[in-house]
Amino acid sequence: MRETWVVGAATNRYGKMAETGREAATRVALEALDVSGIDPKRIGYTFVSNAFGVAERQAHLGPLINTALGLPDVPSATIESACSSSSAGLHEAFVHVAGGFLDAALVVGVEKLSHLDTLAATSYFAMGADSAFETRNGATFPGLYATLAHAHRQKYGTTSEQLGAVAVKNHANGAKNPHAHFQKEISLETYLRSPVIASPLRLYDCCPFSDGAAAVVVAAREMVGAPSAEPLVIRASARSGSVAEMQDRPDLTGLPATRTAASAAFRQAGVGPEKIDFTEVHDCFTIAEVMALEDLGFYPKGRAAAAGAAGETSLQGKLPVNPSGGLKAKGHPVSATGAGQVVEIFEQFNRRAGARQVPKTEWALAHNVGATGGSCSVHIFSHR
Amino acid sequence: MSDETPRLHSIAAFRRGYEEEGRLLGFRSACGFVTATWALVCPRCGQRDLTEAELQRTGRLVAFTVQTVPSDEFLNEAPYAYALVDLDGGGRVTGWIPGVAEEAELSVGERVQFVPSYKPGVQFARVPSGGSPT
Repeated sequence: MRETWVVGAATNRYGKMAETGREAATRVALEALDVSGIDPKRIGYTFVSNAFGVAERQAHLGPLINTALGLPDVPSATIESACSSSSAGLHEAFVHVAGGFLDAALVVGVEKLSHLDTLAATSYFAMGADSAFETRNGATFPGLYATLAHAHRQKYGTTSEQLGAVAVKNHANGAKNPHAHFQKEISLETYLRSPVIASPLRLYDCCPFSDGAAAVVVAAREMVGAPSAEPLVIRASARSGSVAEMQDRPDLTGLPATRTAASAAFRQAGVGPEKIDFTEVHDCFTIAEVMALEDLGFYPKGRAAAAGAAGETSLQGKLPVNPSGGLKAKGHPVSATGAGQVVEIFEQFNRRAGARQVPKTEWALAHNVGATGGSCSVHIFSHR
Repeated sequence: MSDETPRLHSIAAFRRGYEEEGRLLGFRSACGFVTATWALVCPRCGQRDLTEAELQRTGRLVAFTVQTVPSDEFLNEAPYAYALVDLDGGGRVTGWIPGVAEEAELSVGERVQFVPSYKPGVQFARVPSGGSPT
């Protein structure tokens, strides 16, 4: 297996895009190629993610992006894995490059839903769940995570104030991120006053619907001369799955796919959770960050919420979590999210994260979940 | 099983069960696992000998949420509860409970009963202790 690097990464500002997904995806892809310093002609494949592209009445985005990049003969395919689509694309790129089938690959994720009303956007988000046995029985997407939050509270006594601390921390980080959808801090009082969407989850427990695009360039070490930016060495790229419908899982206080993907990733990387300096985890809802920190092995079950409320996961804490602001504040343009997490880690490794720069950047982990954990990616990165 | 009239081994049959026949359908695996979702192979043990089962209509709440913002199919129903229910005799099923506005109105372990309805999905109602569903 060849050592494989992320050599370039770029994102736009998440939120509301005036341009089409196709334009935004092409723009960030070109920027990521420029950052990488790699001759675009070396790109052997483009892995595109655009799970809800039909909302723009456009499928088959790869050839459109490649053509506009001046690479019309480069093959492409769309990789869909709900909210973990572009980390699945990164995994595909890694497998192909590390395995020697490609020298370099482009991973692009994009989503645009802001032209839909909230009800339609909610319905699109729910499409990652089981339409026959979950959505048809009344679940909204927040409702599914709310059910997990309810079970987690039943077992571990997780409080609203502890969930609120996740939102407050991620908004504080997002306020320092010029690419974040929400660049404003919130107080715990604001959180507690926000309306209940699906009990126990409030409005400020939920990530927004965001438009956005992100891209990363992956290349084999041996084909990169002098990299123009500090690369991320991909030490692990692991994917896993869980029983799709959460009612048929033995435990409702975590996501089995996170646990299995994490143990595979730590095994690949040859390190344990204690080695990780900071992490970007999938906080589509505050409870998801709590469960992720437990399922990834950073905290024992039932301990992450209190540790977060005590400041351990802040920028200055012992394990900074979601310095970008996470899905909660940076935003959640579904198919861009996984690649966007890697953009944040790339910026942090290159010490370009400004006011949200974390102190130590030797090792980082990215965790990206599809829907309620039917699919999950865990990537681990280090310096050269 | 005839190809023209798929019964239980189709998602449509599950739906007809809920919404037209007043039945909760599922599969029982050789390993003892009971699922109320659609599968061809047991998701728990990986064996193929699933048998069709009609599940009991009563059970207990395992976990739930009160949704104030509905999905499009339930636009006129909010607020309502979405719940996971452990059925008596095995199988865990999801469903919704109309008319629930506050989380405190329900409790884990509380008894509920499947109520056949023309409305979508699996509808449950609370069972007052010793009585019939509300």
